[in-house]
Parts: sequence; C-alpha cells; structure tokens
Amino acid sequence: MTSVADSPTGPRVAIAVVVVPAFNEERAIGDVVRGLRAHGHRVVVVDDGSSDGTREEALRAGAVTIRHPVNRGQGAALQTGILHGLRLGARYLVTFDADGQHEAGDIDALLRSLEESGADVALGSRFLGQARDIGRGRRILLRCATVFTNWTSGVRLTDAHNGLRAMTAEAARVIRIRQDGMAHASEIVQQLRAHGLRHVEVPVTVYYTAYSRSKGQSGFAALSVLYNLLVGRIR
Amino acid sequence: MPIQLLLTLGLLASLWYASTQRVAPRAATLAFTAIVAVGIYFVWLPDHATVVAGWLGVGRGTDLLIYLWILITLFVGVNLHLKIQAVRENITELTRAVALASARDPEERHPGGGAAQDEGPE
Repeated sequence: MTSVADSPTGPRVAIAVVVVPAFNEERAIGDVVRGLRAHGHRVVVVDDGSSDGTREEALRAGAVTIRHPVNRGQGAALQTGILHGLRLGARYLVTFDADGQHEAGDIDALLRSLEESGADVALGSRFLGQARDIGRGRRILLRCATVFTNWTSGVRLTDAHNGLRAMTAEAARVIRIRQDGMAHASEIVQQLRAHGLRHVEVPVTVYYTAYSRSKGQSGFAALSVLYNLLVGRIR
Repeated sequence: MPIQLLLTLGLLASLWYASTQRVAPRAATLAFTAIVAVGIYFVWLPDHATVVAGWLGVGRGTDLLIYLWILITLFVGVNLHLKIQAVRENITELTRAVALASARDPEERHPGGGAAQDEGPE
C-alpha cells in the first residue's frame, strides 16, 4: 500500500502524510525524504529552526517543508507538521524520525494495521520488531522509559518512545502535543488513554548507526523528560 | 543602626518599584505593601519578631523569618516557572503560526511556472 498512488482521486490527494521533524539534519534528511517518496508517501519536513541547510535539502528531495523561525523542540515540530498534514487533507498521519533510524517500508505495515484493526493509532515497536545494533545501555534506558510510561499512562506497550507511528486524521485532531521537547512521546501515549483512542503495536526495525547515535538523546536527557512530564502534570 | 537604614531603604525602594508596575492586581499590591510594612517593623523592632515566633511555636524570630523566606522563595519560584511555561507555549504557538503560513511545496507552481517561493522569515 502506498499512501499517494492508491488514492482513488489521483496522486495529488494524500492518503497518508509522513511528518518528519528535523533539526540540523542536512546530512541525513535528503536520503530519508527520497526513501519515503520512493515508497509513494507525501512527506512534510518540519525544519525546527536549523542553522544548516536542512530545509533546502528536504525541498530538493521533494518534501513539503515548513520552517520554525526558532527552535522549539521535536514535540512542537511534530504538532506543527501534523496540523499541516491535516490541512493537506491526509486521512492518515505518520511520524518519522529524520536521522535515518526508521525503515520507510514499515509504514505500509502501520497503515495496514490501522485499516485492518480499526484502531486510531498504530505505534511502531522495535522490541516486537528489530533494534539493529542497539547498545546495551540504550536498550535498558528504553525499557525503563517504557515501564515508566506504561505506569503513568495506564497503557501497556512494549516500546513507548518510538518515533515511528501512524494515526487516523480523527485521532490527529484530538491529540494535542503540548510537550515541546522529547517528553512528547510519553505525552502521546498518555493522551491515548485520556481520549479513549484505540491503539495497536506493530513490529518495526530501528537502525542504530554512528550518525543516529550522534544525533540521539543522551541518557541524561531522560531526566529532563521526567522533569517535564512531572511539571506538565501540575500545569 | 546603618544596617537598619539600609534594609529600610531597600524595602522602600522595592515598594516604589512595585508601585510603578501598573500590571499587578490590586490584591497583590496590597499584599506586597503589607509585607514591606511588616518587614520594616521587624527591622527596627527585631525582638518583636521573637514574640511572634513564640506564638507560632518557633524559638527565635530569626528562624521564623528564615522559614517565611523559604516559603516565599518557593512560591515565587513556582509562580515564575508557570509564567515562563506560559510564555514558552505562546512562543511555540507564534512559531507554529509563522511556520504554517510559509509552507513550501516543491510540487506547487506559480502561474509563471516557477516553484513556490517562500516569503516567510528565514
């Protein structure tokens, strides 16, 4: 299933829009966008105030681009991209990382599982699928994060912090990401429960490369995520 | 004596500064004025602070002031945090509005035939 060509009204109507938040990703974004487009997806890259040529690379690769004039964080960029995807008339919104961690081919499985199960949100799980070359520390950190998110959200997942997800337009209109930074991943899971959204988990592959590791979050960032989630509760 | 004068001047100066800030609600202005008045009172009559401390179950007036200071600092900290959070959310909303207004689609073309041009901020 491809998200554009399958459309009964022709290729200009996007069934699925893939939202890629990007901050200083000029080295990787072009290949990521081309990979997604090769699978027939319409791509929206949200350049989150990069100081490099991220936007130009994304445009050259054929993505619709939006630029935050100032850096606001991945959560904020996702919310912006999702809003734009809805404006484009997308029936499904997909979130996808800019650092080349994800496999474009996995999107079809996410969309198919949404259609077949009638769920509102499909979440990619590297622990049901594969986490290629993941370090031991990262595996433990992600397991802990999943336990924490499951505990605070009441939703049972195997991988709560995977950037690859798909949701219906209806779910995308209901979910409102207020965590500008990295805490949005837990926030989205918490909102599944709060809004009574049905979810499925789908096995996906996540690749850990030297580049993705260099762009990824340090273990210490988990502390800041924890802080933001706790403070978010009292707001 | 000099320290009392210095503290009194400092308290009065902060009261004067607060009175020039017209954005504060009336209740906040009154509360701040009361705090400054009490502050000046205890600066000049520190023994009275010990009496009040005794009523509240604290041994020394100095300790009472430290406890109150901690409470006030916490209150101000939380208040500031919430305000900063609100400002951050506003900035994000603004950023988003600007960004959405300047979306560029490589497939969209102007009547002249050129690719869509971005007029948004860079």
